[in-house]
Amino acid sequence: MKTDANWDAVIVGAGAGGAAAAYGLCQRGMSVLLLDAGPRFDPATDYPLTGSDWDTREFPKKAGSIGSVTFAPGQKLIGNEPLLASGSRGLGPLVTTGTRWMEKYHHVRGIGGSTLHFAGESHRIHPDAMKMKSRFGVAADWPIDYDELEPFYIRAEELIGVAGPPTQGARWRSRGFPLPPHPLSYAAQTLGRGAAALGLDWQANSRAALSLPWNGRRPCNYCGACNNGCPRGDKGSADVTFVAAALATGRCIVRPDSPVVRIEAGTGDRVAAVLVGHPDGSIERIRSPHLILACGAVETPRLLLASDGLANESGEVGRNFMDTLEVIVGALHPDPQHGRRGLPDDAICWDFNAPDAISGVIGGCRFYNASGENELKGLAAFALRAVPGWGRAHAQSVRRLWGHSLHVGAIGERLPNPNSRVDLDADKHDRFGTPLARISSWMDEPDIARLRFMAAKSCEFLAASGAEDIFESYSSWDWFGATHVFGTCRMGADPAISVVNADGRSHRWHNLWITDASVFPSSGGGEAPSLTIHALSLRTAERIGKDG
Amino acid sequence: MKRREFITLLGLLLLGGAAAQWRNLALFWRPRFNGHMAETVTAVTDLMFPGDGLPSATELGIHHHIIAMPDLQELMTDGVVWLDGRAVRQGAPDFLALDEVGKLAAVEAAFASKDNDARQFVQTLRFYAGLSYYAEPVIKAAFPYTGPPQPEGFADFRDPPQ
Repeated sequence: MKTDANWDAVIVGAGAGGAAAAYGLCQRGMSVLLLDAGPRFDPATDYPLTGSDWDTREFPKKAGSIGSVTFAPGQKLIGNEPLLASGSRGLGPLVTTGTRWMEKYHHVRGIGGSTLHFAGESHRIHPDAMKMKSRFGVAADWPIDYDELEPFYIRAEELIGVAGPPTQGARWRSRGFPLPPHPLSYAAQTLGRGAAALGLDWQANSRAALSLPWNGRRPCNYCGACNNGCPRGDKGSADVTFVAAALATGRCIVRPDSPVVRIEAGTGDRVAAVLVGHPDGSIERIRSPHLILACGAVETPRLLLASDGLANESGEVGRNFMDTLEVIVGALHPDPQHGRRGLPDDAICWDFNAPDAISGVIGGCRFYNASGENELKGLAAFALRAVPGWGRAHAQSVRRLWGHSLHVGAIGERLPNPNSRVDLDADKHDRFGTPLARISSWMDEPDIARLRFMAAKSCEFLAASGAEDIFESYSSWDWFGATHVFGTCRMGADPAISVVNADGRSHRWHNLWITDASVFPSSGGGEAPSLTIHALSLRTAERIGKDG
Repeated sequence: MKRREFITLLGLLLLGGAAAQWRNLALFWRPRFNGHMAETVTAVTDLMFPGDGLPSATELGIHHHIIAMPDLQELMTDGVVWLDGRAVRQGAPDFLALDEVGKLAAVEAAFASKDNDARQFVQTLRFYAGLSYYAEPVIKAAFPYTGPPQPEGFADFRDPPQ
């Protein structure tokens, strides 16, 4: 089947990057076909948060919404790392094999992509974290500065309706956040007293969740279930923001359930078309005057590598993979907190976010109130994880301690290394015969040292807040469960060591662009990536088609 | 087991890797999961989640879900065999014949046991039964802030819990 192009650009992936690129192009008067491998979600019917079984559900797994990946063997765990070993008092150690557990790449395929299940943190990257090579001698520099991204951050924040505080340290702003910050939850206030005792700043997190009505959308009612999908539409996932705005221009066509299985090279310096698989196994060829890839840092390199190594002249496609470096520590407070009330991740400490903020380790991190996300798992998860034992004593303890948990989370810089990459699995294929992506993840000592700091400081945070009885701790040291992934199609000025240029365009193929976190040369010091993806995509959309 | 299978197995044992094969050999003689085992699993479930003023796990029928889980039947079989064996060593015909104190001690011993089958049995039972038990609406109703997130959300999110 062949489809003649009657659009200016084809975008593959309708998540944070693809949706923003579609909006940016449509704003410029260009017409766009927006494809996604996954389904369309209906917030009103797909996110059932009103039933009594709400806590046994996660984000819905609709047909086609989870892509398959494979993992290279996990890293052998060396040494005794009591601060980093994942496990809980009630369930014991999570990993007993001596090898890092490669559990899952958490993502969503569908219109809105992984923003459908994100908590909605809306962060700008620290300016210094974009210059890791020249300033600190590690990773790579971004070929652009924070100053160049700032206007696009503003555009993205305005469309989404980001709610945030007046200032965020080194992240200078040309205009305030469009909406005032959300009030801190009771649990966040408790942790704030701990931060104050430690002399640390603790402020409202900037959130893609409405604190006031915005663009016809209702404000948040603080149900705390952002990760399960927002039925009210106040969370600024890409489907209700950028995709909706692109559709409103009348110049965007959205096609869910349309996996691209291959890119077809054309003559000269242009790619010609994408091949889209259909449920009956047939393949549709769609011409692409401009092709924008926005499938994320795992699927974008997979698609390029599976297309005879398209755009891989440097050999860098799939390399420099960076996953989430994370610690979460939970402790019991003497007083009830019931931290699931309010926005998850509603408060944040940026004090260690700069690349040189942690003594003796390059690369920053941030701390946040993780109480809501963890209590969201419900009473059963609490009873099993926080309270050891069984029988009457267990029942009495559960009754006494329910609601007393507080969690501090930390996310940190993840430096690239030669052993962390995405390549093609030689043995596993999808139903169209395309090899699956294989994830290899390896942590070097600086990452582990950063994790140790993050874990120790999280414990200090909790203790200073009055929650000294630690009952669980989880970390990326022994558990790969990445949500934020970066770096497999690095942007750079030098075609020998990067895949796309500063505009997001392939060095080799002049109508091929990438607008997702695969272009990040460094991960940042724990910032959630979606807003930076939006901003980069809007910036790239400004350049597409300007020179043919 | 057919005679040919036994001779083959014996040959493997003699030729090497004997220790590993003992486990395989034992699998052939594992008793089938039966009514006695289901009763024992029910009793252990009740000991683990007795309610203490709320309905117990068995009053809520949690044990039916557990017993019906096909993936757990081997583990439950091994676990019951271990519990019965311990009861016999204490002079009782089986676990079910023990008084409550004896049963509690046996389950406690299983949690502390170096025997993988025994320990995994009670840990797995605690996990699945506990997950189901504390997700039951009647149990959740006895705890504050366990209702669904929507449609109300939490208007009191800034305040101390009620």
